[in-house]
Parts: sequence; C-alpha cells; structure tokens
Amino acid sequence: MSTITLHDTHNNDHHDGHDHGHHKETFITKYIFSQDHKMIAKQFLITGIVMAVIAMGLSILFRLQLAWPDKSFPILETFLGKWAEGGRIKPDFYLALVTIHGTIMVFFVLTAGLSGTFSNLLIPLQLGVRDMASPFMNMLSYWLFFVACVIMMASFFIETGPASAGWTVYPPLSAIPKAISGSAMGMTLWLISMVLFVASQLMGGINYISTVLNMRTKGMDLWKMPLTIWAFFLTAILGVLSFPVLVAGVVLLIFDRSFGTSFYLSDIVMGTQVLPNEGGSPILWQHLFWFLGHPEVYIVIMPALGISSEVISVNSRKPIFGYHAMVYSLIGITVLSFIVWGHHMFVTGMNPLLGGVFMITTLIIAVPSAVKTFNYLATLWRGNIRFTPAMLCAIGMVSFFISGGLTGIFLGNASLDINLHDTYFVVAHFHLVMGSAAIFGMLAGVYHWFPKMFGRMMNAKLGYLHFWLTFICAYLVFFPLHFLGLDGVPRRYYAFTEFEFMQKWVTVNVFVTWAAIVAALAQVAFLFNFFYSIFKGKKATQNPWESNTLEWTTPVEHIHGNWPGEIPTVHRWPYDYSKPGAEEDFIPQTVPYSQTMHSNMPHDFEGNAESERIQREWDAANGIVREQH
Amino acid sequence: MVHTLKQEDVEHDLQSSTKAKKFVLWLFVVSSTIMFGGFTSYYIVFAASKGKGHGLVLPDMFTYSTLVLVLSSICLFFAARAVRQQNISAQRSLLWVTLALGLGFGYLQVDAWSALYQTGATLVNNNAAISVIYIVSGMHLLHIFAGVCFILNSLWGSYTKVPQENAVYRIEIASIFWHFIDILWIYLYVFLLLNS
Repeated sequence: MSTITLHDTHNNDHHDGHDHGHHKETFITKYIFSQDHKMIAKQFLITGIVMAVIAMGLSILFRLQLAWPDKSFPILETFLGKWAEGGRIKPDFYLALVTIHGTIMVFFVLTAGLSGTFSNLLIPLQLGVRDMASPFMNMLSYWLFFVACVIMMASFFIETGPASAGWTVYPPLSAIPKAISGSAMGMTLWLISMVLFVASQLMGGINYISTVLNMRTKGMDLWKMPLTIWAFFLTAILGVLSFPVLVAGVVLLIFDRSFGTSFYLSDIVMGTQVLPNEGGSPILWQHLFWFLGHPEVYIVIMPALGISSEVISVNSRKPIFGYHAMVYSLIGITVLSFIVWGHHMFVTGMNPLLGGVFMITTLIIAVPSAVKTFNYLATLWRGNIRFTPAMLCAIGMVSFFISGGLTGIFLGNASLDINLHDTYFVVAHFHLVMGSAAIFGMLAGVYHWFPKMFGRMMNAKLGYLHFWLTFICAYLVFFPLHFLGLDGVPRRYYAFTEFEFMQKWVTVNVFVTWAAIVAALAQVAFLFNFFYSIFKGKKATQNPWESNTLEWTTPVEHIHGNWPGEIPTVHRWPYDYSKPGAEEDFIPQTVPYSQTMHSNMPHDFEGNAESERIQREWDAANGIVREQH
Repeated sequence: MVHTLKQEDVEHDLQSSTKAKKFVLWLFVVSSTIMFGGFTSYYIVFAASKGKGHGLVLPDMFTYSTLVLVLSSICLFFAARAVRQQNISAQRSLLWVTLALGLGFGYLQVDAWSALYQTGATLVNNNAAISVIYIVSGMHLLHIFAGVCFILNSLWGSYTKVPQENAVYRIEIASIFWHFIDILWIYLYVFLLLNS
C-alpha cells in the first residue's frame, strides 16, 4: 500500500537530496489524483466554494418566491424551464430548493469544505508531519466527496427533480417514492450521495485522528498543540462516532424505499390506496438522524471555533486567554453533543420527563460555549489588535456565535419549543449560530492561510469590503426572521401569505430578500479576490502574520514532505505573543527556552528543577530580579 | 537545496506511519461498531415501543456459522504466529484454511436466510424486528467480504515473497479486522438470541 510510497519518498530525500516528492510527478498526480495533503486541502476548498456559490444561488431563488409570492419573473422560466412555468417557482421545486440548499450548506460546504480544507492543510503543517497517516485514503476521501457532490447536483437534471423532504429527510415523505415528485429518483440520488459523503468523511476523520495521535513531531505533546488542531481533532472524533449512525439510519431508509420493508412506515393511505407497510415508526428515523444530526452541528462549528482562536490570538498579539479552558470546553462540547439530540424532537410526543432531561443537557452546553466566548473577548481585551480581513472575520464569527447562541437557550427549553418549533425562529437561530458563524470562521481561515496555500496574499481592501457587506447583510437577513418566528410563521411554507395573519410579514420578507441579494453580490468581491490572488496576488513572505505555529516555518514554495530538511522540534506552546522581555512580540514554537533567557517565565519550565536552576543562575549573572521560581 | 536526513529519523517516520495506519484500522473498527450499535439500538427502541421482538427461533445454521467463524479466527491466529516464525508453508496452508472457513461462513449465512425465508420470516415484513435480522447479518457479510480481501492480501504477500516486515504488517491488519468481525458476529448473534 502507501507505506511503500512514503518509504521511497524518504529515500529520495535521503540519497539525492535535490529531488523532493515523487520522481515522476505528472499533471494528473500533482493536481488531480494528488496524495499531498496540501493539494487535497485546496481541492476541498475550491470544491467547497463552488458548492457554496451554488447553494447561495438556490437560496436567492427561494427568497424571490418568499418576497414576491405573486409576481412573475419570466427570466426564471428561461433558466429553470418547467420548474418555473410562467416565471413563478413551482411549490415542488421550492421544497427541492430548500432541501438542497440545506444539504449542500450543512454537509458539503461547512463539513467537507471546512474540515476537509483546514484539517488537511493544518494538521500535518502545524504538528510537524510530512503527510497524513494514509495519504491514499486521504485522496480517496476527496474523490468520494467529489462524486457525492456530482450525484447531488445531478438530481437537478432528472425528470422528477431533486429530493424535497427537507435536509433532515424525515420519513414517510422520504420513504415513499410516490409521496411527492422529489421523493422519487431525487431522493434515491440524495441517499446515494450521502452514503458516499459519509464514507468520505469517515476516511478523512479517521486519518486526522490517527495523524494527530501518532505522528506529531518531537516535543509536540498534546498540550503544545495549537487550538486549531484540538478543534479539528475533536471534530474528527465527533464525525467518526456519529456518522456511522446516520449510515445505519440511511440503510434502513433505503430498504424501506426500495425493498418494501417497514422500518419507518406504518398505517399509510395514499389517496384511496392503503399501503401494505405496517408496524414501523418514523420517530425512529428521527432518533437515528439526530444522533448524528446534533453532533453534526458541532462538527460544523468547532473547526470555526478553533480557527478563530488561532486568528484572534495572532492578530491580538496576545496569548489566547485560557488555553486549557478552551481545550476543556471543546471536550465538553464534544461529549455533551451526544446527549442532546432529543431537543430536536420535543414535539414528537416525547415523554415530558425525557424532554426535561434533554432540556437540561442542552442548556448545559451553554457553559462551555460561554467559556469560549468570554475567552475570545478576554483575548481581544487590550490586545495590540491588527485588523486584518482574517481578524475581522474571526471577530464576526464570535459575534454570530453570541447572537445566535442566545436564541439557542430559548429553543432548548422544552416548553418554549412548543411555540417555536419549526418556525422562522429556528431558521434564524441556526443560520446565525451555525451558518454565519461557521462561514465566518471558514472565511477567517481562508484569509489567514491563503498565503500558506497559494504562496500569495489576498487583497486586504477587497477583504474589508467583503467582510463588512457580508457581516451587515447577514444580520439584516437573519435578525428579522426571529420576529416572524415569534409570530408563528412556519418554515418551509411555499406561500405562507395565504394565511391572513401572516400577510403583514411580506414587507419584511422583501427587505430580507434584498439584503440577501446584496450579500450574494458581496461574495463576488471574495470570489474575485480569491481566484485573482491565486495567480496575481502579491507574493507572500514566509511568515506574513508573524505567527508562532509550525506551518510558517515551511518554505513558501510547496514541497512534498513539507520541510526540506529535518522536521523542526517544538519547544514551547504556540501562544507566546508579546511576552515581556522578548525581543519581538512573537516567539515561534521552534525557539528553545535557552535562546530566550530574557523572557522566560517560572511556569515555562513546568517544574523542571534543572532548567529552573540554569535560569536562576543566568538571572543572577545578569542582575535580573524575577518573582520566586 | 542540499540536506540530509538522519537514518534513524527516516526509520522513526516509517515506524510512526505504520503505527498510524494500524490505528486507522482500529478507528474503522470503532466506527463500524457504532454503525451496528445504530442497528441494534433501533431494534431495542422498536422492541420496547411495540412490546415485541422478532419472536423467532433462529435457524441452527446461525450456530454452525458462528462456530465456523470462530474456527477461522483461531486458524488466523496460528497463521499470524507462522508469519512471525517465518514458516512460509504453514502460513500459506493456515491462511487458505482461514479463507475457506470464511467463505463457508458466508455460505451458511445465506443458507440461514433461506431457512428463515421458508418459515415465512421474510425480509419484507410487518415486523421490522425480523427485517433487522437480515439487515445486520447482511451488513456483517459485507464486512466478511472486506475481511476476505485482507486475507487474500496477506496470502498474495506470502506468494510474492514480500519482506518480512511487510508480511507481518499485512497479517496484523488482517488479524485485527478478522477477529473484529468474529467478535462482532458473536455480539450480533447473542443480541438476537437474547432479544427474541
């Protein structure tokens, strides 16, 4: 297997010394079926961006319908044909748009696009590893993801259209092919795509965990890892523990759809026809789905939290506030996320006592989340802040995490949820806390590590334009939705204005749609900046942000194996910014304490008596008085 | 760009990468266990809410197949020992026996399905608990298929005379996986026996 490949690579390095990477690197092995984690990261990122643009386009389409339910847009018919006859989006297609928008955003953009990009890029680079545990599996992970994307998009080109049962694909709607047109072939493609997607995520996640646990460079113990790596590591653990349950649920759903079993089906009458299925329960799908589904939202947000920790610390020129607390809160979120899935099911007739249990576990998640929020703010407090585009996005991420997180406390209450369930309040909540926050974390990552990925800088001015437009518009889009929800407007309705008491909300919807259109246009600034800078951006220096972590010790030009010579050894934690007594305001992880005698602190030595003695002697010889060691 | 890598560093890299790859397999074992955990928890919640399980006397074929699978595991254990002792001929014959027993297991499982089918306990059933029997044994059979591939990989290694290190690696991978699917099947079978 790939052991041999690795071995050969190293032998090359050893013997001829000039030839890095594979001997015969063709276009195909370098750019397409690449096994280099840096290239795979870029593949994930660009695929993720393409999918994000598609999903954003879908959202604009259904926002048009929501804002102007009675107006005809002939141009839509030109593009969408029978899905928009007479220039109005059909109800079936509206449901498909909502479903595929959700699926793409949650799974393809914020799971694969986010974890896939940054775990692949940063785990080896920040831990001092030449490549992933299994580069071959890593490559397979990307290509399974790619095929999953293609299959999902292919469902737009079939007679009956894409899946339409919502991104949670609850049976019986999803289990009976004749239920709605989207439940036919489109649903089958959705399921196939998701199975491939899960396989891809498992391969990726398993690789990340194994690499983190087994392949760190010398000196890089777990407590010297950057918070990004902690976040990716715990995210991967979440994925490996929860995605298989989705597979179990999906397998049963496939059998219900295609073979006539009754896992989720019972007592169904279609028109005048009584279906033979009996004895199943659709609630069981919800249990299996949300056992994945809830950890999934943390799979989405935790990498964003990790990226923000790093970006905020670097650009505040301050150590991250409460490093250990940050790690423990991530672990807390990881553990708790497995015992809260019931809060999606409060109104399924759940035993109120059980609902109470799920309510308590859900509300406890507020604690680690608040710890993280306060630590971000404390890191920013009196920092020497550099407002780079990445920094702005990271701060934006914190903002959305707070404003969206607060409404989570409302929704986590079993009794309040009776009113709020399936209203726009829920839509507003998760688009802020999971959607916008995670996207801003991802954008922060893109702006921050773009020089590492492409060796060039992105344009800062365009970055500022992009940030402010997106930030403001995201609030303008999602904040008003809270009030619709509180008034009882249900989500996923094609034309809720048919109900008289909701008609007053049409004007708000017009406003929201305009804000969404401006936000979408703002992304052009990003897309142009991104693709233009890949080729024409300003050349990056080796360490443009004056950062401590290992990835900035690699050469700007990518080589297979990352470091030309020996892998650097790590001597200190990654957050020695603005240390009193140091010559510069950052000390990379590779600098030993023996080179920074002026700035060493008593706790740096972790109780190592010999080092403390040497420091004391040096202090005495140089006439420096410090607090007691 | 001239540089040198110390030989021990290269070896260290290599060792940690082999270790990491074995770890990858362990993680796969974990996630696969969780998937079957998903099926069995479906069963538990279903049985609890309906107040009934599959209510069948499971065909004897399942007992025979379990024995065959346990035997194959034992065989593989001795095969792994033969690899470490560099006893090629014992290794080959033991691996062939393991393979044959594995395929025999597959045959017996299909036989068990047809026995179930003939008693009227079909896959398409209004008692989803009975359908679960087919699902878990079927998904397990897919794992057997993967396990057979691992054993073939090890066998192939013994015929192409790969270096000892590599041979050990191959048999270790095969062993981890095969013993896992052995234990997994015992869990599933006992589960189905206890929750009838």
